Amino acid sequence: MRCDWVHGYWVHWQWVRCEKGFGMSVNAWIVVGDQPAIGNLITVARSLGGDGTIAAVVAGPRAVAETVAASGVDRVVWCGTPDGSPAEASAPAVAEAVAADPPRVVLGGRNPGDRVLLGAAAAALHAAVLTGARSVTVGADTVTVVNAVYGDISDETVEISGPVALLLDGGSVPAASGAGVPIEEVTATPYGVKVLETIPSEFEEVDLNAAQRVIGVGRGLKAKEDLSLIEALAAALKAEIACSRPVAEGLNWMGKDRYIGSSGARISPQLYLAVGISGQLQHMVGVTGAETIVAINSDPNAAVFAQTDYGLVGDLYELVAEITSVLK
Amino acid sequence: MPEVAEPDFDVIVVGAGIAGCVTAYQLAQQGREVLLIERGEAPGSKNLSGGVLYSRGIQEVFPGFLDEAPVERRITRNCVTFLNATSSVGLDYQDARLADPVNAVTVLRARLDPWLAGKCEEAGVTVMPGVRVDRVLTEDGPAANAAGAAPWHANGTTGRRVVGVQAGDDELRARVVVAADGVNSFLARDAGLRPKDPLNHLAVGVKSVVSLPRETIEARFNLTGDEGTAIAVVGDCTEGVGGGGFLYTNTDSVSVGVVVRLDDLTAQQKVVTDIFDHFLAHRFIAPYLEGGELAEYGCHLVAEGGLKMIGEIVMDGMVVVGDAAGLTLNTGLTVRGMDLAVASAVAAAGGIGAALENKDTSKAGLTGYRERFFASYAGQDMKTYAKAPAFLEHERMYKQYGELFADVLYGAFSLDTRPRRHLLSVARRALAHSPLKMRHLVSDGIAGGRAL
Amino acid sequence: MKIVVAYKWTSDPEEATVGADGVVNWSRARPGISTYDPVAIEVARGLAAATSAELIGVTVGAKGVGTPLAAKAALSRGLDRAVIVEDDSLKGAGQAELAAVVAAVVRRIGDVDLVITGDSSVDVAAKMVPTVLAGELGWPAVAEVTDVTGQPGALRVGRAVPGGAQVLEISGPAVLATSADATTPHVPGMKDLLAAGKKPVEHVDLAALDVPASSAVMTITGRARPARKERKHQLLDTSDPAEAAAELVKALREVGAL
Repeated sequence: MRCDWVHGYWVHWQWVRCEKGFGMSVNAWIVVGDQPAIGNLITVARSLGGDGTIAAVVAGPRAVAETVAASGVDRVVWCGTPDGSPAEASAPAVAEAVAADPPRVVLGGRNPGDRVLLGAAAAALHAAVLTGARSVTVGADTVTVVNAVYGDISDETVEISGPVALLLDGGSVPAASGAGVPIEEVTATPYGVKVLETIPSEFEEVDLNAAQRVIGVGRGLKAKEDLSLIEALAAALKAEIACSRPVAEGLNWMGKDRYIGSSGARISPQLYLAVGISGQLQHMVGVTGAETIVAINSDPNAAVFAQTDYGLVGDLYELVAEITSVLK
Repeated sequence: MPEVAEPDFDVIVVGAGIAGCVTAYQLAQQGREVLLIERGEAPGSKNLSGGVLYSRGIQEVFPGFLDEAPVERRITRNCVTFLNATSSVGLDYQDARLADPVNAVTVLRARLDPWLAGKCEEAGVTVMPGVRVDRVLTEDGPAANAAGAAPWHANGTTGRRVVGVQAGDDELRARVVVAADGVNSFLARDAGLRPKDPLNHLAVGVKSVVSLPRETIEARFNLTGDEGTAIAVVGDCTEGVGGGGFLYTNTDSVSVGVVVRLDDLTAQQKVVTDIFDHFLAHRFIAPYLEGGELAEYGCHLVAEGGLKMIGEIVMDGMVVVGDAAGLTLNTGLTVRGMDLAVASAVAAAGGIGAALENKDTSKAGLTGYRERFFASYAGQDMKTYAKAPAFLEHERMYKQYGELFADVLYGAFSLDTRPRRHLLSVARRALAHSPLKMRHLVSDGIAGGRAL
Repeated sequence: MKIVVAYKWTSDPEEATVGADGVVNWSRARPGISTYDPVAIEVARGLAAATSAELIGVTVGAKGVGTPLAAKAALSRGLDRAVIVEDDSLKGAGQAELAAVVAAVVRRIGDVDLVITGDSSVDVAAKMVPTVLAGELGWPAVAEVTDVTGQPGALRVGRAVPGGAQVLEISGPAVLATSADATTPHVPGMKDLLAAGKKPVEHVDLAALDVPASSAVMTITGRARPARKERKHQLLDTSDPAEAAAELVKALREVGAL
């Protein structure tokens, strides 16, 4: 059942109301690029309730569409992204599919490709865009979002009448559930974007959210070689290594997926050990969910100490070595 | 000698604080080409002051100041408090006359300085934030190159003359450079105008701005409307280190801080932030701030030497204004810096204007600044209170007097069913228990009378 | 040939305070060009120089984003001119609304070949304005861009992706969002700042722009300061590092962190 997007959202909703009982209106669209890491998006979509469907539009390879089709969503549309093009090239098809069956909510993950697809969908719907949703409630006429803003220093409760696009953590790849749904194939003229070359990262990929213990490295570490000291501690702690933004972007000591902060990863491990990190808002907002926070810093006035459970003021090289040896 | 390059500006002012902005503004109003350089990304971003501005001077520069400028409150209540560990004795002076005409206001520099810079832009000043001046450009003075010099060089002085500033790879030239770059004036030093300051003329200030609802402030400080209170505190607030504390009310926040002498701090091996924490937690201070939210925190050097701090403020091609010239005045009752900055800026703008008019920006040509400043009320006050800093350096001021006063008053107010004695005899007994001697009272009384 | 670089004039939330009622107080925060936008300007400047394109800065926002000081701060970084929409109705505007207004400015300028922006802003860090902007314009967007070469119409764009990097070729107009480490922006010198004062700045009325109406109406119905986990704030004595380490490990075992 389709509803052609002509006169805007309210026209559509009147239509939905009169068709109620037939089901099949789209409650939530999930936009998917070339990674099917949308477990969290499916969870959020399900939590919305209502009698609409959860539909996904995939701009990545067919294999991604197949994974998504088996993940428990009600409907999957695949854009058939041409070979040699990135998912972003299929943004017009994604926007068209979403606009053709306008939802209450569009969800997308935070990686660069997914953001572009979500932006295209939001523009097509003239939707509101929120990026810090803590909770989403779908009411009869409005969607209410508790939205963290400005480095999470405040939570705004926003009531939206009309469609809303939410940028959320994608989560992990969903496990297959049931027989899956058929894949609908659509096409639209893609953008002229081609991949000329793909260069694998010199750094190993990491899922910081899966780690129980995380060590964050800041600019207090003097040289890249000194990371070996941190690696020894990480091995003893069974911890992953993360960092503040400048260590990944700028110094390039580790991959971008390891930096924590308002524009990076947000984690909630058992233990976060901040080594040589000053404690700026943009970084600390990424670890507010940590169960226990420890900080090591040579500057007793470092802001990080106001946000920790245990603070050690001193030479990080000495202290890290000592902690490693105690753990051994 | 090479031709003297045509300057890029008539005047380059370095530092967009109060002194710098007022100098630049007034020169632009005279029709001069003025460049105002500020190190911070925005004017005011590097500035910190206690927050009370004695505003008569600035009202003359900007007639609409009180209505247009981001002024917080108009001070109508002044308190001086001797604080002891478990007692406090104070003078509380509230007077409606202080509101009309307005005499002093509280300001937040993060708000005031951008307003001043905006006024400068309106007047035609080129405002340039985010630029750190690396060097003062100098050339051989008039005596050395008199032969090829432009007319305004022709004067009998010797040595180097300032011709501009350098920042990064860029050099800009002006007929006069104004050093308005604060207490640690890099410019004045780089030009060889000032030796390193003796420690006992410097103090370090720590200040917080604590947000509180407007109504709470008005209730706690006994204020109505936009009236404000300034409280000066001496005694236990600085843990015996020479200096004092203050509380000033803003519209919806309180500025609270301590200013302590650097030499005493070093001698007593104390940490200024600890002293500040001690002050905030003091049983007679904490209730003013209870429930407030920390909105701002900063640390700043303060020149406290009074007249002694003012050295050379004029040289060939350059003048020094405001804090950079050491213009602060602590009389014990009032701590003044911003109004002196205004006065020195007005004097400098006048002196520079005259020098440019006469095409003589040598030291002699610019000396009108110095004359104008010392003829002004601010310059007169600097002379009047010349002995105040030395008087206020007495340790007795910070510890023993407060306790003595409290002991005398305790004798009077503590009605413990024993018969009362005459206040004078209570005072005598209290003095006997105090490390203070009668001769201290007499000599400090005379010195204080003379100094203040 | 025209390249637009869209920048944001805003404040860092690090300098803001938030009351118990969740209301954010920006009065002591000092506005400036959003931290990562100078990188975008620098990348755009490089491309504009290489392709002899005109480089136009665009910013939209509430009153204050277009003061002479703000405009000069952007222009001094190498823009040829600026187009600014300054309107208090944009105070607290959402990402979609800002993107729609920027898109309208780009359409108004006309014949724009490329828009470059920073990937995220220092205040909101939403990373969505460039992508919605592309959607509004009907152009492709690429985020996390690290370098741009070639000619508009045949651009070679380097960008970071999870697990590595890619080189893309883009055949038409596009929106590129630069990563924070794409390049190191130069600090404008005094001569740059003086030159900036002489560059043209066009102030455009919001009402004069063709901004498509949003289908969504957002109303803020509540604010709260998020509850933060209570921390212990224990400073361990580190005069003997070995002892401090042992004490820490013991404490972490006790709370179950190890």
